[in-house]
Amino acid sequence: MSVPSPSVTTAAARAVDVTKVYGQGDTAVHALAGVSVDFLRGQYAAIMGPSGSGKSTLLHCLAGLDRVSSGQVFLGDDEISAMNEKELTLVRRDKIGFVFQAYNLVPTLTGLENIGLPLALAGRSPDPEWLDRILTTVNLADRVGHRPNELSGGQQQRVAVARALVSRPEVIFADEPTGNLDSRSGAEILGFMRDAVRELGQTIVMVTHDPVAASYADRVVFLADGKIVDELAGPTVDSVMDRMRRLGD
Amino acid sequence: MWRVTLRGLVAKKFRLALSSLSIALGVAFMAGTFVLTDTLGGVFDGLFTNTTQGVDAVVRSKLPYEPTGGQVSRDQLRPPVPESLVDVVRDVDGVARAEGSLLGYALVIGSDGEALQGQAPTFGLPWYPRSDTVNRSSEIVKGRAPRAPDEVAFDIRTFEDGGFRVGGPARVSFQTVPPREFRVVGAFLFGGSKDGPVGATLSAFTPATAQEVMNRVGQWDLIEVRAADGVSQTALRDDLRAALRADGLAADFESITGQQLADEQADELKSNLSIFNTFLLVFALVALFVGAFVIYNTFSITVAQRIREIGLLRALGATGRQVNRAVVGESLVVGVLSSVIGIVLGIALVPLLQGLLAGFGIDLPGGPLVIATRTLVVSFLVGTVVTVVSSLAPARRAARVPPITALRDQALDPAANRRRYLWGAALWVVGAVILLAGLFGGASGGDSALLIGGGAFFAFIGVAMLSPLLAGPAARVLTWPARRRGRVTARLASENAERNPRRTASTASALMIGLTLVSMVAVLAASLKGSFTETIRGQSSADFVLSPKGFFPFSPAAAEQIRAELPDATVVEYRIGVIQIGNDTVNVLGASPDFTEITDIGLRPGARRDAFARGGLYVEAPEAGARGLKVGDTVEVRFPDGPGRVTVQGIYAKELPPPFDPPFVLSLADWDRFPTTEDVSVSVLKGPGTTTREARRVVERAAAEVGGIAADDLASFIDRQIAQFDQLLNLVYVLLMLAVVIALVGIVNALALSVYERTREIGLLRAVGMTRRQLRRMVRGEALIVSAFGALLGLVIGVVFGFLIVQSVSSEGIAFALPVVQLVVFVVLAVLAGLVAGIPPARRAGRLDVLQAITSE
Ligand SMILES: Nc1ncnc2c1ncn2[C@@H]1O[C@H](COP(=O)(O)OP(=O)(O)O)[C@@H](O)[C@H]1O
Ligand SMILES: [Mg+2]
Repeated sequence: MSVPSPSVTTAAARAVDVTKVYGQGDTAVHALAGVSVDFLRGQYAAIMGPSGSGKSTLLHCLAGLDRVSSGQVFLGDDEISAMNEKELTLVRRDKIGFVFQAYNLVPTLTGLENIGLPLALAGRSPDPEWLDRILTTVNLADRVGHRPNELSGGQQQRVAVARALVSRPEVIFADEPTGNLDSRSGAEILGFMRDAVRELGQTIVMVTHDPVAASYADRVVFLADGKIVDELAGPTVDSVMDRMRRLGD
Repeated sequence: MWRVTLRGLVAKKFRLALSSLSIALGVAFMAGTFVLTDTLGGVFDGLFTNTTQGVDAVVRSKLPYEPTGGQVSRDQLRPPVPESLVDVVRDVDGVARAEGSLLGYALVIGSDGEALQGQAPTFGLPWYPRSDTVNRSSEIVKGRAPRAPDEVAFDIRTFEDGGFRVGGPARVSFQTVPPREFRVVGAFLFGGSKDGPVGATLSAFTPATAQEVMNRVGQWDLIEVRAADGVSQTALRDDLRAALRADGLAADFESITGQQLADEQADELKSNLSIFNTFLLVFALVALFVGAFVIYNTFSITVAQRIREIGLLRALGATGRQVNRAVVGESLVVGVLSSVIGIVLGIALVPLLQGLLAGFGIDLPGGPLVIATRTLVVSFLVGTVVTVVSSLAPARRAARVPPITALRDQALDPAANRRRYLWGAALWVVGAVILLAGLFGGASGGDSALLIGGGAFFAFIGVAMLSPLLAGPAARVLTWPARRRGRVTARLASENAERNPRRTASTASALMIGLTLVSMVAVLAASLKGSFTETIRGQSSADFVLSPKGFFPFSPAAAEQIRAELPDATVVEYRIGVIQIGNDTVNVLGASPDFTEITDIGLRPGARRDAFARGGLYVEAPEAGARGLKVGDTVEVRFPDGPGRVTVQGIYAKELPPPFDPPFVLSLADWDRFPTTEDVSVSVLKGPGTTTREARRVVERAAAEVGGIAADDLASFIDRQIAQFDQLLNLVYVLLMLAVVIALVGIVNALALSVYERTREIGLLRAVGMTRRQLRRMVRGEALIVSAFGALLGLVIGVVFGFLIVQSVSSEGIAFALPVVQLVVFVVLAVLAGLVAGIPPARRAGRLDVLQAITSE
């Protein structure tokens, strides 16, 4: 199945014929078996698929956390797959935001310090207006002076989202950001992420296996056995569940 | 549970290796010390068995009393026997042969004009014709024995080192007769070993010459006796005793067997050896103490890290006791392993230790290594027990982990509780009280050392328990400059040090101990040196000072020669002796009567200087007060050669300038009551009619001609003494280094464990853009915080200890001095070393794979 490929300049992240093989010989696992996909600027995209289908691997490769076995990965116009370790680190710091499922925050830093961490690592301080806006968006202004262990799971994830937003990255990658949350907190986070795209013009690529989470996205890409097998624009919970069921067959 | 224990161990080889190292080093030092001193003991035993070969018994004067303080040996105190006694002994039943013998001062001047003196003594002895001599310890290996008064033979090493040849000339200097020219007729092997008795230089003369040149005309030091065929050593001795009694000589003379003599001589050397052994063992114990901190820390960290695993075990039904035993079992394995490694390492390192000591001027004779069972047992037990005891507290903590922990995602609460701080404070106070009691309580030497050591031990543990309170503030203060410049790595490093203040503090405590000792020693040394310089400058107006180049006193011939060539100069000789006053045996300083013209001792008005010239005693004021002595009193004393009376001629208020410390000064006019007449020091004040240059020439020539003497002006004398002192001081620093090295191993270990523990967090930091460099900087920052904290804490405690110790001896005229530059250098070096210790864990952290780290459980 082919995926429409818009012009290079509007893709925030792009994979071209990416494969990822773990191990070798008989025990080799083809986590990604030739994936080509574009994620557009200003879009909220979700990646879905059964467990073990390669979602996390794809995300890691797109985010410069993992190396591809073959193929290319671009962030904007920059080819990430050709960068060395140091360049990748700087790209992650300056151009990418992360929200992981858990352990998102440095326990010794306050919420606010965690939010400012990527900028601090770059030796910069956050733009106060932008910070203000983010804090208002994620509704955290009164809790950011606390350390992570004094925050609820939902608050911690909101801090993580704020951190991902603070450096105005080209893309925010989120791997099951609501996987550890109750549904109410989860809905909150998903709402904030959608607001970030709608109101702040951010780009988000989110891995999830939850149809409800996927329904917040503008577009869903389906993965199975390391290949992109389907996609859906303007997803709803029902339409996503429908596709998933068909994939399972 | 054993299976769990062993699996836990194997899984963490790195931790195991590092924490084992910290104990193994201490054990190695301990085992090495034992082997070294046992080996020396073995050498001495063999030596004196050899040097008394053929001697079945000896007759000698009784020791008038035991010497004290180690400044005077028994042989220096024992009076000679009259020559006529040899005939008496010869007539005793069971005696095959009897010969007078002596061992006196004879310094050989090498063919290049330099005296052949290292740190070993230089002796002359009589040589009887080989065929019928009693003492068979020597044999001629070159040329022949001396037969004429102007002939000499040397031990083979002296012969070779001095560049002599048979038939060539040799110059030997003595105490009571001027240096003399001899003809070298041969060389001999003494005691079967080329090194002779502990490297001593030996010259053999005909018996009559020996008596003449070594101040024993008509006398011997002792009489060596060979038994008739079939008479045992003890039978011979008993016969000799009976004969002495029958002749009414038993009050002054005694007899012992040759074997007893050999044992006595070996024991005398070995008692010095045991001081040396204790000296080294103290450093080994310090090293083990520091190692204990490292072990404690390692086990605390790993228990904290495995808290969920432990919780799971508990949930599955393991009792707290089983968990406790698993941890203690692990420490037992570590302890046994490190002790075994340490013992092997220690034995292997003995040559290194010998080399180290030799480098500091302590040359020890070598021999086959003696590995006593005691060495193995004690080293093994100490190493194992220290390890296991260090793990008890972490094990107890592990046993208290509730099963629910398995389900909770929460680390063991690391916040130290108040009870712990109270205990720490209590221990600290107890330690301080014991320490102060040791310093100021007036206990005797050994007891006070024990009190001081024990007090310091508790105080250290107390401080270590209290120091978590300081860890956080210290981390913030230390990183303040970097944080102010917006360094996020500094902020993180500081937070990491603060997040577990107990761990930071106990890692730092290990370094603290080393730095405490180093800075305490520095303070003591600076105070001693400063006071030494000051008192000598203040009290002595000498233009020149003669002092021995080695450790042994020198011939009074030098002073004689200077007196003869500079008639208008004041030349003062100093000697050390032992007398008895009442039941007390006391050291006295023997001094030329006019010594107060050079040395200001604060003689009180009323002193009778003229009378002192004919004999008598000056007494230090506090001592005079204690004994109720005043000028003009007559004191009943015992001299080495018998009872006598001396008159108190003066009371003095100042301490004698170092290195002299006896509270009595005896006029040299009375010195004929002592068996030996070596000078320990000579001071010269030139007369107005002589130029300094002229005087220097005379003094230097006299020193050179007598040999083995350093001639200095006052300034260079001070420098020389300080240089000698510094050599010992540097040895102490080097030995303390081991404790510091172990503490650094502890830092490596603790940081590596912390890095491992924080894998996931490090992954996160890297994911959001921390570069490897920043990460390494952060870990090194933690190392810096820990080492600076430990070093500064140690500095403060060390200076306080030093201050207290100086106060406790302030009556000896020692004033507190603070060697600021040196202390700063020590702290900087320690911090730099800590930074270096941070490099391996920093690199480990830098090498972590980001993705693996963030996805790790
Ligand atoms: N580090 C790895 N080593 C070996 N196999 C891996 C590794 N990471 C992932 N895999 C395998 O790759 C496949 C895809 O994994 P992943 O991307 O984590 O799937 P998802 O996130 O969709 O559940 C799985 O079969 C997984 O077992
Ligand atoms: Mg996944």
